[in-house]
Amino acid sequence: MIELDKVSVDIGSKRIVSDVSFRAHAGEVTAIVGPNGSGKTTLLKAISGEWAYRGSISLAGREMRTMKPWETAGLRAVLPQATTLSFPFTVLEIVRLGLTSGRSGVTGPALELLAEEALERVDLAGFAGRFYQELSGGEQQRVQLARVLCQVWQPVLDGEPRFLLLDEPVSSLDIKHQLVIMGIARDFARAGGGVVAILHDLNLTAMFADRIVMMHRGRAEAVGKPAEVLVDERISRVFECGLRVGVTPAAGAPFVLPQSATV
Amino acid sequence: MLQKVSELPDLVRKPSHEGDRRRRARLAITLLAVALCAAFLFSLASGASDASALSVLGELLGIGAQGAMSARDRIIVMDIRLPRAVLGVLIGAALAVSGAVMQGLFRNPLADPGLVGVSAGAGLGAISIIVLGGTALAPLTALFGIYSLPLAAFLGGLLTTLVLYRVATRRGQTSVATMLLAGIALGAMAGALSGLLVYMADDRQLRDLTFWGLGSLAGATWLKIAAAGPIIAVALLAAPFLARGLNALSLGESTANHLGIPVQRVKSVAIVTVAGAVGASVAVSGGIGFVGIVVPHLLRLAIGPDNRYLLPAAALLGASLLLLADSVSRTIVAPAELPIGIVTAAVGAPFFLWILLRKRGVIDL
Repeated sequence: MIELDKVSVDIGSKRIVSDVSFRAHAGEVTAIVGPNGSGKTTLLKAISGEWAYRGSISLAGREMRTMKPWETAGLRAVLPQATTLSFPFTVLEIVRLGLTSGRSGVTGPALELLAEEALERVDLAGFAGRFYQELSGGEQQRVQLARVLCQVWQPVLDGEPRFLLLDEPVSSLDIKHQLVIMGIARDFARAGGGVVAILHDLNLTAMFADRIVMMHRGRAEAVGKPAEVLVDERISRVFECGLRVGVTPAAGAPFVLPQSATV
Repeated sequence: MLQKVSELPDLVRKPSHEGDRRRRARLAITLLAVALCAAFLFSLASGASDASALSVLGELLGIGAQGAMSARDRIIVMDIRLPRAVLGVLIGAALAVSGAVMQGLFRNPLADPGLVGVSAGAGLGAISIIVLGGTALAPLTALFGIYSLPLAAFLGGLLTTLVLYRVATRRGQTSVATMLLAGIALGAMAGALSGLLVYMADDRQLRDLTFWGLGSLAGATWLKIAAAGPIIAVALLAAPFLARGLNALSLGESTANHLGIPVQRVKSVAIVTVAGAVGASVAVSGGIGFVGIVVPHLLRLAIGPDNRYLLPAAALLGASLLLLADSVSRTIVAPAELPIGIVTAAVGAPFFLWILLRKRGVIDL
């Protein structure tokens, strides 16, 4: 479990995240949503150890800031919004970098195959020999996800659930791959791991998230199940445009149509 | 679904090796090791005197016809060419590896100790000892003896690298433009101070300085090897431990950290390694340029940027190329010889322009 207790982050003299508390449980996809500039990425960077924070963030029961990089690397993997690369690595070489910490949970001959297996998972079979820099933005994003998956391939290792921290994992993907990637996140959670993902698409959020943290001006405006958090009044106020939440008859999942919005 | 790999029997699937350049890299390292042996023998055998490669080999291995080598040839090979070749190996390896490490640290293929002022800083340290070693810095030279020159060069290089890193890198992102411009500024500052010292130097020191400044392996002695060798050896032995960290760093500092790399420690070790290797090299052989940029670049084209293979391959290729350049510098105008720095610059500078041409529009300033 990842537990945040009154987490605040200051960048310079400006407070970007203030007093955010929530728990991300193993077995669940926790989505962080909110308008641009509401502190989502900063919050995730605090959880991933990039930004100093006040308050407490605990990972597997231990305070994050007391942990060494190689300890956290065995408990969570992080997909950043964008990754630039300075040298001509092949796709396979990039994915293999995910094995740096040596805590994938796969051993023996299977380890040699893991990178290719991960590429298959993100629908990039046959891309191993391509140069990373020659791929499209969406393909690069999926290569990075394959690398991240390799780092914590077994969702539970030595009895300890592990986490995927994903910053807008589907931002540059087509609709098929949005569903593929969100499916991977859900499978990871169903297999006992945990996922914390920043998402922009409220409908994907409603479909895949077990829990939503809605950020607004640096604060957690609401934390709860999709049907509890995604209500007309709240999302209209937070996103500053009139929105109506509908409910699909079949699954009973809420949806938000931009066609119904008033700006 | 997620556990699929581990459930597969070994026979069902084999890795396709597509995109996997590890085999090629291992083969390249083997070939480069052989090439270095050949270059080493060639270097021992070539020169103004005609002691031949075969008799040298026979002499070294203690086989072949006894006395095939004259006493004069033996002195030439053992006391002049052998220390020179050993020094060439050490310095070639040091320059190529420090180039590769620096490029990994700055995440940029254009970073090179010579281009960004580190060599100039090391040079300032060395010149201080040459000029002031008998006067103002006499206590230092008395304390460290033969090591004072490489140590001073190491400190000069370390200081320059630290300042450069501070200026060019913010929040884990290195700006190439800032790095190159800061390197020019630091190089100019070190150059100005060096110039001031040269201005103060007497005639004998001036002659030393001129030859030293052009870069040369001439005057290699076992004593110089004893002075610079240990520092270079430590730097070369430290480099492989940086490989995984530098690989991860190529995805950026924060991602390297996410992958479990203690980024600050890797950066510190990398900076000290570069300063040590460059400082010790500059101290004994002056500024030998372009080895640090040409060698890693060629190797990345051949075996890819994985530092686990790049660093040892760079050491081998750098050593071989410097031995060859030294052989050329000794024979092209025989019986006189050219400073080796002129040879490496004459070959390396056009090569560097070629890299720039190929990358024009790709390099993000």
